[in-house]
Amino acid sequence: MGGSASLIPRDLLSEYQELTFLSKQEILLAYKRFSELLPKEERENACSARVSKSQILTLPELRANPFQHQICHVFSTSESGDDSMSFEDFLDMLSVFSDSATSDIKSHYAFRIFDFDNDGILDRKDLEQLVNCLTGQGEESQLSSAEMEQLIQNILEESDIDKDGTINLSEFQHVVSRSPDFASSFKIVL
Amino acid sequence: MDFLFCCLHRGSSQRNRFSHQTPYDSSLHGSSGEHRGREQNYPVAIPMASLGPGSDYSQDLPRTGPYGNFTDEPEPEETYTPYSTFHMLDYPYIHGISSGSEEVKLSGHVCYSDSFIRRRNRRPPDEIFSTSSSMFETDPVCNEEEDLVGSLASMSTNERIKAIQKMPETMRKKREIRNKVLKEITKKSKHRGAQSTQCLQGAAVVSARSFYSSLSSFPLQSFRRFGNTLSECFHQLRLWHKTLKIIGAEFGTSVLSYFVFLKWLLNLNIFSFLINFGFITIPQFLAAEPNNLSFTGLEVFTGAGYFQQTVLYYGFYTNATISKVENGPSYNMQLAYIFTVGIYFVICFLILLFSMAKFFSRNINSQTFSVNASKLLCTWDFNITNEKAVKLQQKNLHTQIKESLTEVNKEVQNFSVMERVARIATHLLAWLASLGTAVAACAAVYFLSINNLKLFMKGYRNDLESQAVMLVLPVIVSLLNTLIPFFFSWLGHLEKFQTPGQHIYVTITRNTILKMSIVGILCYYWLNIVATSESQCWETLVGQDIYRLVLVDFIFCLLGSFFGEFLRRIIGTTVCMNLGLPEFDIGRNVLDLIYAQTLTWIGILFSPLLPGIQMIAFFIVFFVKKVTNFVSLMRNCQPPRKVWRTAQMMTSFIFLLFCPSFLGVLSVIGVTVWRLKPSEECGPFRGLSSMYAAVDEWIQILQSYTASKWVVWIYHNLISSELFFFILSSVLLVVIYLYWQIIQGRKTMTELLRKQINNRSASSSRQPAQEVPDYPERAFERNQNSSYNELWSLAVALPVDLVFALRMVTQQCQELQQHQHLTFGSRAICPLVATGALEGLSSNSRGLSTQEGAGQALDTNLHIL
Repeated sequence: MGGSASLIPRDLLSEYQELTFLSKQEILLAYKRFSELLPKEERENACSARVSKSQILTLPELRANPFQHQICHVFSTSESGDDSMSFEDFLDMLSVFSDSATSDIKSHYAFRIFDFDNDGILDRKDLEQLVNCLTGQGEESQLSSAEMEQLIQNILEESDIDKDGTINLSEFQHVVSRSPDFASSFKIVL
Repeated sequence: MDFLFCCLHRGSSQRNRFSHQTPYDSSLHGSSGEHRGREQNYPVAIPMASLGPGSDYSQDLPRTGPYGNFTDEPEPEETYTPYSTFHMLDYPYIHGISSGSEEVKLSGHVCYSDSFIRRRNRRPPDEIFSTSSSMFETDPVCNEEEDLVGSLASMSTNERIKAIQKMPETMRKKREIRNKVLKEITKKSKHRGAQSTQCLQGAAVVSARSFYSSLSSFPLQSFRRFGNTLSECFHQLRLWHKTLKIIGAEFGTSVLSYFVFLKWLLNLNIFSFLINFGFITIPQFLAAEPNNLSFTGLEVFTGAGYFQQTVLYYGFYTNATISKVENGPSYNMQLAYIFTVGIYFVICFLILLFSMAKFFSRNINSQTFSVNASKLLCTWDFNITNEKAVKLQQKNLHTQIKESLTEVNKEVQNFSVMERVARIATHLLAWLASLGTAVAACAAVYFLSINNLKLFMKGYRNDLESQAVMLVLPVIVSLLNTLIPFFFSWLGHLEKFQTPGQHIYVTITRNTILKMSIVGILCYYWLNIVATSESQCWETLVGQDIYRLVLVDFIFCLLGSFFGEFLRRIIGTTVCMNLGLPEFDIGRNVLDLIYAQTLTWIGILFSPLLPGIQMIAFFIVFFVKKVTNFVSLMRNCQPPRKVWRTAQMMTSFIFLLFCPSFLGVLSVIGVTVWRLKPSEECGPFRGLSSMYAAVDEWIQILQSYTASKWVVWIYHNLISSELFFFILSSVLLVVIYLYWQIIQGRKTMTELLRKQINNRSASSSRQPAQEVPDYPERAFERNQNSSYNELWSLAVALPVDLVFALRMVTQQCQELQQHQHLTFGSRAICPLVATGALEGLSSNSRGLSTQEGAGQALDTNLHIL
């Protein structure tokens, strides 16, 4: 770890510490893991390089996650829209999923991850996709359409307070605020 | 009053801007501009929308993509401006509440989409650039950004760092905001003509960062650096980190919490071992007498024989004052013994208390969790990364969803009188049976132990037979502890509880009763029978008993996890499938841990090195349990089902550890130290009337020295004075009562807020969508929206602060003023009204809605005036 410490300039490191919820060790570990994803010749300047989405998804922490594509999409700042990640994007992601992030910011990003079509609300389609991710995509694990309908109806009845047929961010955060487990389960640690 | 007035005043003048934060802060901390004292968890009220459109770099914002349709929106300026001042929590809500009004809906979209787009802002404007909207919004939004920067600049360093961390923004955006804030600070300090101006000139922007770091107060910085180095050291030592991560990744958070608890106990034992070893054992080594007993190997199990003359037991310790140098500093063994144990228990008490309080406060809301389906929204455990485990979790969720769907469809069962009577009778019978078993187990243990003592006293030999006899008691106790829980769970199945939660809690209660009564009867035996027997050194006997119990319990735990979990899983999955797949029973396993820890605590006084043995045992249990769980995962067994909720689990574990276990141990230790007569011929307290008499003697000695008069004074006036404790406890009672009242008030407030949300949602769903033609009316609606939003975020931020509650009431007041066209002219009346309203809320009108309550209070206030 000492070797990689010298690769991030000191002031940059302290800046990262200030802007994210991560500790110095976590940042250094993230740097190490991130540069391992890069091809050898690019490792020298890992801070400015971008890692493609397929590379990011080889991380064991994300490999099996059913929301992996959404996570990449939400945290990527790629200009071409290919969901590739820079080191700072990577740190952003780890910061949100870290232990010390507030549950406010966690729920904010959880909402964005669950918002599959990026329209700022969770509508029926989003919920359907969410449930499919939760139960797995296989043939036998899919819910029947009647069950799905019923389930989404239940979800909306409980959490859609203004009765507009969708769940918005504050409604979502309200649901999350009543689930004390959320902060401990919405967590990815390297 | 002043405070309320301030609240109100600020609240009204800044109603739109920062209305969540500023009045609250400024009223609390005066006008110093320091935003200190906000709790960390409280959502930082930074108007996020202000960061959005129109800030200097989002001018090149491509307003297309998923949100592209908004570019055609007519008159965007009208709909934008008001919402850009909303709290980050709020703006999406506008969309929700005005479900019918198309324009408002769109603006809600835009505001939210801004926050979404912001991330994409940096993608080049490869799409059409919408002039109309961004031109219009530039001005107000710039102001907003300035406001944000200003408010950040006026915070203290720590606050600011936290606030920036909490922004749901990308790194680059956060950095930009931070740099702006730093510039602002530099500017300000220049204005003030601070001394640092000169050295800053010319390099203001470039060196902003370094200046910033020098600005932050020095001690804080160095403290932080020290903390960093410390955590760096710990990071190297953190063997657990990886193991726990793997466990979390494979078995999910609920099993992880068992291991976290185990690790917590392990650390506690390491700590107590170090304390005891350092302060009791090492000095004893210096004064040790040679041990002339032979070691045969069987002693490892019985703890007797050779070990009797080692530092393992109380009896070996000397009562002398140890000093290596003549007339040099000496070490009083008696005092060391009693103070080490005493201070250790005080520290344990504090640790337990604080961790319990921490967990309690963390899930204070959890009792109100009544929703089921929406739980799905936050149910995914992102810790799990093992592919097999992911599949299993998905399968579990799938069956859970199906079960809950069928449950919803089922009619609520109505029982006839006969059925109900039968049900109650079964419960009663089951309770009788379980209590009867517990009593029977206790009686068995009691008679066995008395018999054991007789045998022991009769032939005090070291042959194989007597040693085997010694092991009978612990084996029987462990057998009872292992087998009776199976009987209890069988009883539970017979009873047919309505919910699985009930089943689990009843089973756990019964198991706790069983274990604690067995420990209780053993304590009675030790303190009342062994202590009065004519054995040479009863403390050592007790210590040996506890040693054997701990050891046999550990062996049973290993056997249990091997046969009960490991083998059964293999048989259950390969040979006979109808046995079913056993789950990892977290409740039972945790109770075993608590039982072992209780024994260790009792044993500390009689066998100071017991924590060391327990430490090794826990360490082995940790890895054995990990392996059995791993095998079960590989065999596609079920991970534990939903019934245990992670956040509540740690709370109840620690509560169980505290309430029957630790408090019981404290009373046992108390009786031993104050009441019982130590043995005459062994141990540090030989010859004294009680262990505590050592402290009394010490105080007597201290009285002759003038330098230590204060110790004597403290002892007489505080520690041994009833009056002091009387005053202390009455003060405590008063404080507790006050807090209790505050909690009651908050509960009422929470109820009201909830009711109000429900009312509003009901009314909003009742009202059909309608177009709002002219502007003033729309403004009114927006006002409604904003107060609704405020209410909403209050509910999100529950538990509410009292200040919050007050603010809410104040706002209610203002609303009333507007709605009823009251012409009070002066605002000075409002504090009165607010307090009246609060009184009305908390006392009379619990059942009434807030508006009515406030109205009543308003009326009474009018009368007063």
